[in-house]
Amino acid sequence: MVGFSMQPYGIQSMLKEGHRHLSGLDEAVIKNIDACKQLAIITRTSLGPNGMNKMVINHLDKLFVTNDAATIVNELEVQHPAAKLLVLAGKAQQEEIGDGANLTVSFAGELLQNAEELIRMGLHPSEIIVGYTKAINKIIEVLEEMVEKGSENMNARDKDEVITRMRSSVASKQFGQEEKLCSLIAEACIQVCPKNPANFNVDNVRVAKLLGGGLNNSLVVRGLVLKSDAVGTIKRMENAKVAVFVGGVDTTATETKGTVLIHSANQLENYAKTEEARVEELIKAVADSGAKVVVSGAAVGEMALHFCERYKLMVLKISSKFELRRFCRTTGAVALLKLSQPNPDDLGYVDSVSVEEIGGARVTIVKNEQGGNSVSTVVLRGSTDSILDDLERAIDDGVNSYKAMCRDSRTVPGAAATEIELAKRLKEFSLKETGLDQYAIAKFAESFEMIPKTLAENAGLNAIEIISSLYAEHASGNTKVGIDLEEGACKDVSTMNIWDLYITKFFALKYAADAACTVLRVDQIIMAKPAGGPRPPAQGAMDED
Amino acid sequence: MSLKVLNPNAEVLNKSHALHMNINAAKGLQDVLKSNLGPKGTIKMLVGGAGDIKLTKDGNTLLKEMQIQSPTAIMIARTAVAQDETSGDGTTSTVIFIGELMKLSERYIDEGMHPRVLVDGFEIAKRATLQFLEKFKTPVVMGAEPDKEILKMVARTALRTKLYESLADQLTDVVVNAVLCIRKPEEPIDLFMVEIMHMRHKFDVDTRLVEGLVLDHGSRHPDMKRRAENCYILTCNVSLEYEKSEVNAGFFYSSAEQREAMVAAERRSVDERVQKIIDLKNKVCADNDSNFAVINQKGIDPPSLDLLARAGIIALRRAKRRNMERLVLACGGEAVNSVDDLTPECLGWAGLVNEHVLGEEKYTFVENVKNPHSCTILIKGPNDHTIAQIKDAVRDGLRAVKNTIEDEAVVLGAGAFEVAARQYLVNEVKKTVKGRAQLGVEAFADALLVVPKILAENSGLDTQDVIIELTGEHDKGNVVGLNLRTGEPIDPQMEGIFDNYSVKRQLINSGPVIASQLLLVDEVIRAGRNMRKPS
Repeated sequence: MVGFSMQPYGIQSMLKEGHRHLSGLDEAVIKNIDACKQLAIITRTSLGPNGMNKMVINHLDKLFVTNDAATIVNELEVQHPAAKLLVLAGKAQQEEIGDGANLTVSFAGELLQNAEELIRMGLHPSEIIVGYTKAINKIIEVLEEMVEKGSENMNARDKDEVITRMRSSVASKQFGQEEKLCSLIAEACIQVCPKNPANFNVDNVRVAKLLGGGLNNSLVVRGLVLKSDAVGTIKRMENAKVAVFVGGVDTTATETKGTVLIHSANQLENYAKTEEARVEELIKAVADSGAKVVVSGAAVGEMALHFCERYKLMVLKISSKFELRRFCRTTGAVALLKLSQPNPDDLGYVDSVSVEEIGGARVTIVKNEQGGNSVSTVVLRGSTDSILDDLERAIDDGVNSYKAMCRDSRTVPGAAATEIELAKRLKEFSLKETGLDQYAIAKFAESFEMIPKTLAENAGLNAIEIISSLYAEHASGNTKVGIDLEEGACKDVSTMNIWDLYITKFFALKYAADAACTVLRVDQIIMAKPAGGPRPPAQGAMDED
Repeated sequence: MSLKVLNPNAEVLNKSHALHMNINAAKGLQDVLKSNLGPKGTIKMLVGGAGDIKLTKDGNTLLKEMQIQSPTAIMIARTAVAQDETSGDGTTSTVIFIGELMKLSERYIDEGMHPRVLVDGFEIAKRATLQFLEKFKTPVVMGAEPDKEILKMVARTALRTKLYESLADQLTDVVVNAVLCIRKPEEPIDLFMVEIMHMRHKFDVDTRLVEGLVLDHGSRHPDMKRRAENCYILTCNVSLEYEKSEVNAGFFYSSAEQREAMVAAERRSVDERVQKIIDLKNKVCADNDSNFAVINQKGIDPPSLDLLARAGIIALRRAKRRNMERLVLACGGEAVNSVDDLTPECLGWAGLVNEHVLGEEKYTFVENVKNPHSCTILIKGPNDHTIAQIKDAVRDGLRAVKNTIEDEAVVLGAGAFEVAARQYLVNEVKKTVKGRAQLGVEAFADALLVVPKILAENSGLDTQDVIIELTGEHDKGNVVGLNLRTGEPIDPQMEGIFDNYSVKRQLINSGPVIASQLLLVDEVIRAGRNMRKPS
């Protein structure tokens, strides 16, 4: 070790060994921007309906084939602190809306790339931040004006209206299959939409992935699909009442350890008999209450099962607490803690419960068509696991869009029409500004071009041509002209019927601008020595109840 | 060297080497922190060992996270942390002031002056500055109704140095109202009564003050209400779950009936307790449409939850201890430790109990309470580092408001005090000092100017121009501060820029002490073997 008499002057000498300190424009800001750019380049090619898929293999050797940016950035495990800020913005968007993560990350990357040009021109980051902040405020104003008239009222139960708003989001994940998928999603969502659509719960639309078949074999089940077999031999029951027991269907036990006290062989025989009688009594009570299906949240005892069979009760075992709650919501049953005679009110009802074999797997389909059912399931069929996973992500995005549109149903033109209009209006605005920040505002406007450009590039079109003709159309007052990716021409979105949700755009742009400004605000980075040792266990374990 | 004889492994620095090492360390630390100072300061990004990100402008946080190793720098950092503990703010200023004192002393020492003389000068100057601060401060009368405007100005000045402007302005109202909410006449303010809760949700500007309490957990039963209006609140610390006996007990039974009886008996005492709560609920909610919520510090097991849910009671278990105290302050009533003597008087009341689910996290809002003496600052932000940044800032803001109420005085900010104090030292105090100690006073006076200098530097202004302009105005008798946007002098009083009196006093007290100590060091010895690094 160097004697402290020779310590160099400056901060580096004051830090612990292994710490790194980066500061100043070149070392911190430009490098940060560079890292963010790299990240944006990765996500960008997945933007839009013609986006490319990525193959990501994570640390558990699990393979992902997807163009869903939220999944990509999540599995990439980005280490660079500045790029991480972008990832966090994407995650925030995913949590808030459930869609548009790619727009957030790619747009933030573009903003930073343009900021770099400004910095090289000699602007100070703080001036860029001021400009970007002004720009985003203006954007929010303009975005509000761009809202399609009449879209603020939506009938959440009208399938066509829902599909219109959902299509662009689903199409960006599964281009070509959006019609089929949208109709599945819309059907499932509308089935479980509560009286007040704003209270829609994403958790009520389930996805059951079953290997085999194809997307066209997929269907929506009003009820639940459990990926397990029934416990007993009775595999089918119709128009049945259901009793749900959380604590398991078995003999009762005390919390304190118990010991059976037996003095003679006689007693032993008697004990077994009383035990048997007791269980029979309980099961009989359940059967007497009218229930025909018994659902257990824990183990089902051999003896109990025997009596259930005898009393012609169908037995299901659902070990997940959350799945059990969903089952209760589907059937309207009240979960009972202990095996006992249920009140008539506590019983639920199902139209049919049946064990079926789909694609080699045994599943239990619980159907409940009548009102009050709040769970529906999309049964997805596909040829490989990764296709199924990707379809599931598309459905998740669709369901999340449904939730978002229930909160705020306003739409803005899709197919890059909104972006070009925002770019145009922002450029006009920048010319009216007098300070140095006008350059930043103009660059912000330019950043919007990234979206039509990427859409066109990913579709194999000539981006420059498309953008210039889009600008020309918008300049002549056709504010709703976007790109028709199939024909490679500019068309009015009303004829193509491509609409984006206002709320998705709003949050995505705002998160992107916030993230870009945060990256620009940093001028010094102090990095601790990376901790060694094994990784901490994954967070988010279920809590016990 | 004599020490080498005693211990050949020891390292030693003496005379000017030791001094210069101290001075260099102080200057180095100053360099790191100076870009933080003031509303125009920049943000530092700290990356932890596990790759976690923290963004901060707060000197205190930065010093804590930096893991400094240089012994001198640690001494300075500790002073700054002490500054934060006593007054809640001014850490960056402390480090910068110490650094500047050392820097200016270096010049005199290089010219052959003895550090002791400088230190004497510092002492004189320090005492004079403190006297001057007493004269200079603006007294504020804090009666039953404190002047909200003044409090807001102080809070805004503190917050703007930690966060960007629009967010700071919004938080200003939040922190001032929070402190006024928990303030009780004739009692010291206990800032722990302000709960700071965060939710990863929406944007940073959605941060707000909740008059009531926000708990970071929810009811544990799917059938309990998610939202209840006009709610009676029972705050209790009673175990509602089956507890095993301490001794090793077992049951002996010889038939299933006997066992059933045992099962029932095991639960009886818990069920009885639950029943008492349900009885109370039925009593108070019998003839009106109000609701009932139980917030328990201890556990409630699933069978008890089930009973409560059936009775229409919202039950929350395992509330934090500190929240029990706050709940009583917020909702009224009293916390009960036994359910044997429940009366309606024990109950608190809230207009709204609402559960909010964010992904897997649940939050319970107890809101619309009458006459609260506790409140919650609910911080929102899209990601953890934003939340952490706001949290640090809110804490400083609360301290600033509290200090103002307790000091009953404020000091003009924007560098006005520093310039005024410097002019006072140079023009009046220096003349009364005899001998070379004068130079110490002069160094101290010039060191004070470092605050406006760095404020100007961080704003991209020319430091020399600014200082000349400011001192010029002060010589004319105008008390002015620095306008960071234009670089022109402004009247801080008109602009509402006020600093805390106690922050400034602590700063002037502690800065010179540590600087003097470091200057008087003439030998640094590192002896003893380093256990971790055998060489």
